[in-house]
Amino acid sequence: MLPAMSAPLPADASPPNFDPAAAYPEVDAVRRALRGGDWPAVQQIFAGQGSDGRDVLTRAAGEVREAEGFLRSMAQRDPTDTLAGTLWASWLVEAGWKIRTGYRAQHVSREQFAAFHDHLRRAEQVLIDVTAREPGTAEAWTLRMMTARGLELGQAEARRRYDQLSRHVPHHLPAQAQLLQQLCPKWSGTFEKMHSFARDCMLAAPEGAPNAMLVAQGHLEHWLDLPAGDDERYLRDPPVWQEIQEAAQRSVRHPAFRRVPGWVWAENTFAVAFSLAGDHTSAAASFAAIGHLASEFPWAYLDDPAAAFTRYRDKALAKGTAK
Amino acid sequence: MIQHIDLDGVPTLLAPTTGPTLAGLTFRVGRADETLARGGVTHLIEHLALHHLGMADYHFNGMTGATVTTFHTEGSPDDVAAFLTGVCDALSDLPLDRLEMEKEILRTEDANRTRSVTEPLALWRYGARSYGMLSYPEWGLSMLGRDEVRAWARRYFTKGNVVLWIGGAGVPPGLRLRLPDGDRQSLPEPTSALPTTPAYFAGSTRAVAVESLIRRRTAGGVFAGVLERVLFRTLRQEGGLSYTVAAVYEPRDSTSASVVALVDALPEKQDAALGGFVDVLAAMRVGRIEQSDLDAVVAKSRDVLDHPDVRTGRLPAYAFNMLIDFENISIERLRDELAATTVEDVHDVAREAAESALLMVPEGHDARWAGFSQAPVRSEHAVTGTRYPSRESAEVGLVVGPDGASLVAPDGLVTVRFDDCAALLAWPDGGRVMIGNDAISLRVEPTLYAVDPSALSTIDQRVPVGQHVAMPARDPDEIPRPVPPPPVRAGGPSRLETFTFAVVGIAALLFVCLGGLMTMGVSADAEARGGEWAVVATVWFIAAILILPTVLLYRRRAAARGQR
Repeated sequence: MLPAMSAPLPADASPPNFDPAAAYPEVDAVRRALRGGDWPAVQQIFAGQGSDGRDVLTRAAGEVREAEGFLRSMAQRDPTDTLAGTLWASWLVEAGWKIRTGYRAQHVSREQFAAFHDHLRRAEQVLIDVTAREPGTAEAWTLRMMTARGLELGQAEARRRYDQLSRHVPHHLPAQAQLLQQLCPKWSGTFEKMHSFARDCMLAAPEGAPNAMLVAQGHLEHWLDLPAGDDERYLRDPPVWQEIQEAAQRSVRHPAFRRVPGWVWAENTFAVAFSLAGDHTSAAASFAAIGHLASEFPWAYLDDPAAAFTRYRDKALAKGTAK
Repeated sequence: MIQHIDLDGVPTLLAPTTGPTLAGLTFRVGRADETLARGGVTHLIEHLALHHLGMADYHFNGMTGATVTTFHTEGSPDDVAAFLTGVCDALSDLPLDRLEMEKEILRTEDANRTRSVTEPLALWRYGARSYGMLSYPEWGLSMLGRDEVRAWARRYFTKGNVVLWIGGAGVPPGLRLRLPDGDRQSLPEPTSALPTTPAYFAGSTRAVAVESLIRRRTAGGVFAGVLERVLFRTLRQEGGLSYTVAAVYEPRDSTSASVVALVDALPEKQDAALGGFVDVLAAMRVGRIEQSDLDAVVAKSRDVLDHPDVRTGRLPAYAFNMLIDFENISIERLRDELAATTVEDVHDVAREAAESALLMVPEGHDARWAGFSQAPVRSEHAVTGTRYPSRESAEVGLVVGPDGASLVAPDGLVTVRFDDCAALLAWPDGGRVMIGNDAISLRVEPTLYAVDPSALSTIDQRVPVGQHVAMPARDPDEIPRPVPPPPVRAGGPSRLETFTFAVVGIAALLFVCLGGLMTMGVSADAEARGGEWAVVATVWFIAAILILPTVLLYRRRAAARGQR
């Protein structure tokens, strides 16, 4: 497990830090090892991790732009090295989605789509081999859920990949979050299926596990899809608010909750959901836990994430201390 | 032991059996020897040879395969002798007065036949020649005359090109094989329509199938068995994605064999069945093969070999091997080879199978994401010649020149050269289909293209007569009709609208000017009273009423211009 940073003081007013390395020092270690072309060091860092930690590090490795040549050569040198394959695929997936951008399909050019698909296909072919050799590689399956979505391979195929992963690693939150995306209407799913999947994940996970954050994430996806005005009303709707509360109680507010990799992301999700729902008191507990540790999502759904983080944290902590 | 004897100059295999006598004649000829435009000749001869037995009360059958044609029977020694003697006599003197009648029967048989889901694989791999013939209907039947049928029989149905096999105590008394002398016919040279493998094409069903070519060996059969087990477990038992799961190993010639695997899929799970199939193939390719699966397959094969009638059961395969000069191995050696097969051997086959794979994906899907290239569906070059535009779209045209014909459309082109044309199907209404040796086909429909008679006669004259196939008249509903292109100015202004725009616009302009003049006039008049202002207001009111439709009509016209 990644050792988490100690809890920041509730009054932490420093600007948000969106770098995952702020919470997980191994991220920086992996970056250094990749930039230095030190493969044994990379292997050593991964060897000490559980599947959640490996997922965080795999995604972080994919974001090291200058590691392209090194990762490609490591993957080609030994096709049986599943770590090298996974990290190279992560790099390709990350590069592909950067080319595509996060805009809706109609704002993405034909050339962008072609390059995006080309990157995902290359990643997918590496990952087919990785999961064939080691079907228990959770982070490779998580990436394959991203390639399946981008290549539009279909709802049933995404589900099959998730089921294959679950057979080996149950309750793998990063993959569950990917399937949640796939189940959104923007990727040919339905809100009904998405909410029901989030709830199933919450109920199946052990007490205090972070998986219940998917319920809040699901409501944020729903919020994102609604026109301005309706969206806020949606999150303030008592049944929706209650579900987010229940999810928080089962995860981040549960006595068994531990700061395992992914905890920053879970707390940030509740911070955003409660803030947008106007429940700054509930948001205060999450802000108190994270201090300045921000996660890219779901803040990226808001205009100027850093400013939004500061604004909502100020509101929440004002409420929290006024209480 | 299988005994080798000679009967009337025909190599004969003899093996003991516990049941009634069974026997067959296996000739080295089949669909893969035919051409597309004369396809069906072997099957037709098979029918003609069996015609006289129509009322016999014992069990018999004829089978035309890819490279062998077999007549077989089961019954008393007398029945067997009567059947085989009769077949040979009919083959050496075909009842050609039955020709047209048997053609009709074959057409009915074909119309009622259940087509195998894997049937299209052959043409995508081999094209419209050699083994690719198995994907096509027997189009040549209507073109086959007595001389052609007789010549085919004389070449292939001879003493030198057949093996007789008998499961029973001995040669049934009275059996005579009165066949003409002739030479052993070598196997057709396999053709290819695939520039690269692994490749894929989209089928017209929900099934996922793969066909691979591998070196012929015992481990190949074991690989197919293991593949079937893993597909069954993964896609049916664990995934609930498929019901039918099958994998079959089949020797093609003395050096090569094919492995065909197939799974079906529920409509809403086709993508997952494809994904699961790809993952199973990948697992075997990288060597994730369970010893327990291998053991189970070997045990099952051993059970078959331990059956008391195993030698009789192997007679047809034994005869096939003799006809293609492949050395038959003993049951004992086969058993040893099975026992010696290792996971590494199966992995070796899996790697070879992956490299040569031809994958059929469900309709509307692709497999580029999994590293399969698309099998060619278009041509690279167009012929030069006269262009005949499509009646449906100005962007699509048919080009007919001295070398062939091309269909040129914005999304690609299709060319069939006259010297590379496997068949030209011709309907009495003028419709033509040219099928290239690469299996790419081109429709020339006079109802869809503004072709002149000279274009059709160029095609008819340039394609060699041996490739022509006269098709029966089509039902009028089957003749395609052009869908007229949408009018270019759809939504544009009509004449009435233009006229209205002009009249209303001029009237509006007049009232605006009048209103302006009157306003100035009345303003200048210091004594103007309320009544005069009321008149001015009315004029402005009318002007406003006229301006509104003018603006609306103007916008509509502008929008219509923008569309073009």
